[in-house]
Amino acid sequence: MNGKEYIFSVITLISKKNVVYLQTIKIDFTMSEAELVLVEEAKNCTLYTIQFLSEDDTEFEQFFNKFKDDVEFSPDLMRIVGFLGKIADFGALERYFRPEGKMSDRVVALPTVQSKLRLYCLRLSDRILILGNGGVKDTKTYEESKELSGYVLTLQNFDRLIKEGVKDGTISVSENKIETDKTFDL
Amino acid sequence: MKTMNTPFKQMLEAVPADIQQEVDLEFAISNRINDLMVLRGLTKMEFAQALGKRPSEVTKWLSGQHNFTIRTLSALSAFFGESLVRVC
Repeated sequence: MNGKEYIFSVITLISKKNVVYLQTIKIDFTMSEAELVLVEEAKNCTLYTIQFLSEDDTEFEQFFNKFKDDVEFSPDLMRIVGFLGKIADFGALERYFRPEGKMSDRVVALPTVQSKLRLYCLRLSDRILILGNGGVKDTKTYEESKELSGYVLTLQNFDRLIKEGVKDGTISVSENKIETDKTFDL
Repeated sequence: MKTMNTPFKQMLEAVPADIQQEVDLEFAISNRINDLMVLRGLTKMEFAQALGKRPSEVTKWLSGQHNFTIRTLSALSAFFGESLVRVC
């Protein structure tokens, strides 16, 4: 597992029949620091991806490298990459994506057509798209796949942190750009 | 802000010519259908009903990634009264 491990000790007080009990609970979880990386700044859309500081490659490069030489999935990968080129030039319109994630987030997937390959993205607007990672969907829903649900969760968390950053002024989102030097704890 | 180590243009250059041609055509046809729908003031639902199709079928056509058959292209061309694809 990448990133730092944080261990918290929580003391809870339980009052029962005038007796006070002290209870200590330890919670272990892992957080990974990540930053936003520019992929392509084009006429109608700016593409970004996410880089975990503990990794050599960005999320989108990992997806690309995983399937570029795969006999079965390389053609589908190339269709996705070619399509992203079109999106860069014409915009990330809603109709080009498969809605994924939850109603409350902006996670989408490519392609919309029949394929087992999935690339997960965060579509902030017609002019801002953040590319995530992806893989082969061989379960009925992405939630049933540990790998794919991990990629979706990363984007859902990133989406939440962007919204928080915009609110507290540490992130600026203009018509076609995201401006931030922030690292994100995902 | 950092830029991705692998230039996006390099990734695009890896796309084989036949696949890029396929992507270009699917994307262009989809956008043309969308333009014509807007020009005629048709919603997705109205468009689907007029053609006797499900709205989900229209969603596929408008996705920019649909592999259109000649039969579908012919039906759409007849509906709009103009060819969606021209053969030179």
